[in-house]
Amino acid sequence: MRLAREDLFRLIEPLLPLVEKPSRYLDHEWGAVEEQPGPFHACLVYPDAYEVGQPNLGISILYDALNGADGISCERCYLPWHDMADLMRERHVPLLALESAAPLASFDLVGFTLAHELVATNIVETLDLAGIPVRAADRAEDDAIVIAGGPSVWNAEPLAPMFDAILLGDGEDAIVEIAACVRDARAAGASRENILLALSRIQGVYVPSLYDVVVDSTSTRWGYAVPRPGTSAPEVVLKRCVADFASTPACAEHIVPYMGIVQDRLAIEVLRGCARGCRFCQAGMTYRPVRERPMDQVVEASERGLAETGYDELSLTSLSTTDHSQCAPMLNELDERLSGRGIRVSIPSQRLDSFGVDMANAASGSKRGGLTFAPEAGTQRLRDVINKNVTEEDLERAARNAFEHGWRRVKLYFMMGLPTETDDDIMAIPAATHRVLEIGREVVGRGKKSKVQVSASVAVFVPKAYTPFQWAGQLEVGEVERRARLLLGANTDRDVKISYHDPRTSLVEGALSKMGRAGFDLVLAAWRRGCRFDAWTSEFNYDAWEAAAEELGYDLPSIASEGFLLDARLPWDHTSPGVSKGFLQREWRRAAQGVTTPDCTRDSCVGCGVCPALGVDNVVWGERA
Amino acid sequence: MINTVAITNSKLNQYRLRVRYRKDGRLAHLGHLEVINTINRSVRRSQLPFAVGNGFARRMRLQFSQALPVGAASLGEYFDLFLTEEMDPKAALERLAASSPTLLAPMAAGYVPYGLPALEAWLTRSTWSVNVIDETSVEALSQGIDAVRARGSLTYLRGEKEKHVDLGRTLVSCEVRPSGNGFLLDCRSTEEGSLRPAILIGAAAREEGLAMPALSVCRVAQWHEDEDGSLVEPM
Ligand code: SF4
Repeated sequence: MRLAREDLFRLIEPLLPLVEKPSRYLDHEWGAVEEQPGPFHACLVYPDAYEVGQPNLGISILYDALNGADGISCERCYLPWHDMADLMRERHVPLLALESAAPLASFDLVGFTLAHELVATNIVETLDLAGIPVRAADRAEDDAIVIAGGPSVWNAEPLAPMFDAILLGDGEDAIVEIAACVRDARAAGASRENILLALSRIQGVYVPSLYDVVVDSTSTRWGYAVPRPGTSAPEVVLKRCVADFASTPACAEHIVPYMGIVQDRLAIEVLRGCARGCRFCQAGMTYRPVRERPMDQVVEASERGLAETGYDELSLTSLSTTDHSQCAPMLNELDERLSGRGIRVSIPSQRLDSFGVDMANAASGSKRGGLTFAPEAGTQRLRDVINKNVTEEDLERAARNAFEHGWRRVKLYFMMGLPTETDDDIMAIPAATHRVLEIGREVVGRGKKSKVQVSASVAVFVPKAYTPFQWAGQLEVGEVERRARLLLGANTDRDVKISYHDPRTSLVEGALSKMGRAGFDLVLAAWRRGCRFDAWTSEFNYDAWEAAAEELGYDLPSIASEGFLLDARLPWDHTSPGVSKGFLQREWRRAAQGVTTPDCTRDSCVGCGVCPALGVDNVVWGERA
Repeated sequence: MINTVAITNSKLNQYRLRVRYRKDGRLAHLGHLEVINTINRSVRRSQLPFAVGNGFARRMRLQFSQALPVGAASLGEYFDLFLTEEMDPKAALERLAASSPTLLAPMAAGYVPYGLPALEAWLTRSTWSVNVIDETSVEALSQGIDAVRARGSLTYLRGEKEKHVDLGRTLVSCEVRPSGNGFLLDCRSTEEGSLRPAILIGAAAREEGLAMPALSVCRVAQWHEDEDGSLVEPM
């Protein structure tokens, strides 16, 4: 039932002294759009705690786009922490949006960000707290239309039963079309069913209820989705893609939170997409093609954004900022314009070569925190398998350059459980880490005072949809632990720290990455057993997930570790980022042979299929270094 | 009286602008660090010619009065901002007001001598209004306060740690408000610590066998206490 739109802050206010971090629930931040005249009301939900969700750039972009559209207003909502949620349930307070403090269940349109697989139970919790029926099929005619979008839509099936529609790909234009479509259809008195049909005609919009899941001999055990007869829903929904990235607002962040949040700084998106072609990387495949924002725009937006928000840190974000063809002049220009104001510029990840270090150096001024590199695998053989096109020499040169420029702490990211991995590959991780330490000692000196430290963080590889490794099975927990012991046992130096991620969190992530629509029952059962905030190490409860799986007759390890046949129909074949299956299969075969594939922004097109499928092109303003 | 003429530190050529601001409404729930961060950004947005420290991190030169407890409002909070140019304090106030959240609005600004001690240490006296907003009897609490005061000191737990406050030194006076719905406290902070109004009321409630009442706490004013005990206005 749609609740009335009214300001219910008076119900939350008495709870504020009773919860930790009341500033999660205050609203009224600088830059928030407090006037919400509507008449069409949308609310964007990041289903995690405020401090995790508020820095999300995607939400900022869509918030801006919707609030800028005629007759449409847009608010934000985050998932209350346990303490607040318990109090709200106890006192029958429904979940409220921030700006108007109106119930989420009073909105016309509610949009969730799918940031990763482990938000699954948080979405159930959000809907339940709001009093919106969790399953789309149970919603009444006038209930909010509940949609989702974001980086983790590429196997949307285990969450699909909760959504009336799911947007694939870039949202800035599509979200306004979606809102306008719902508004117009409502105004015309359309039924819910007809609203969903209308939504399915917008490019990039997937309406799960218009598809049946079929399991047969051509599919995996999770089946594949086919459009229901008579709905004219497309067989394959192709993602939305903004061809002219430079025409989108360069500075999307305007809200300045009160509380210390995860990334407490101004973010400017300097480019979208990455064509390096790492075979494990879902973002690299699903955000293609590469579209750079021209340097002048970045510089102007940075200055304006800093003045508007008052931030003293600027982050130039993207999947691979140092690949921007104007990266060096852009950093120089920013340095010149921002000097003397106590402003820090940061770039999120360093490219693993000398150029990457030069750029980190240009960005950070005199400040030297830790420097991070991601070789991902220990041996050249395995790096070729995953198409991480860096060499031993790249790593060594980058490390030397970093120590020479004054860095003392270097952090290396690796993965474990990659296809074809052997114990030799594992043992090469501590070896590479020690080599970097040795280079540091050569450059800086061996004494205690040199303070050279190298750490390696090893994540468990999780195969993801729309990557060349989507057919791979995940390494079993027991084997992860054996390899982890090898890894830790090979560490012989106090100044080297090696750590690895909890394989059980990865196991749940892996299972949800593989399952089809039937996976929703697992999510629901886990939520009923109290699972939420699963991405928080402190909150993750594997036993509850395991019990939930058992209750349904599932075995999480065998789901995650199952490999798929190369020609099987997959649960996500009908929701496509434009990368062709033929390309992914070819990449899978090349991986097996250890053959690498070049970057199409530096070499010629390698035929991934995105550009012809979507009618777009790479947009690169200069020569890439 | 508000000073409109700056006394500069000739060596650095910096001017110390003191600003009084309020912390009101729902923003009473901000923690001290959150207030500091927010004001820092308000100053940056105002584009006032703020001074930056020489330290490694090149931070803005900004000082605050003593932390307010989370949940407490205030009509008299202060910060000192060091400027590199002397500008009309009225104009500075206007710019600050335009760049601050309304519930943390600056209300007055004036220059103070550059060399005064740090604000936090200098503002040693404060007046608090404490309203009881549930059914708890103010009269009973008043008796509880008398009993606690008679013992001279108060012990309470802060996290795991046991803390002591000397009530003789830190609680100057405590009166029931004329409306009868709460108290007016006059407190002094000493080197050993200061008294938080909610701690006193909590102890009084325990004394009377009552549950902790729901309170609305507001710091009404702050002063510097001179050696002779007289109160000096911060501005
Ligand atoms: S179609 Fe070619 S140019 Fe376009 S992203 Fe794919 S590989 Fe690159």
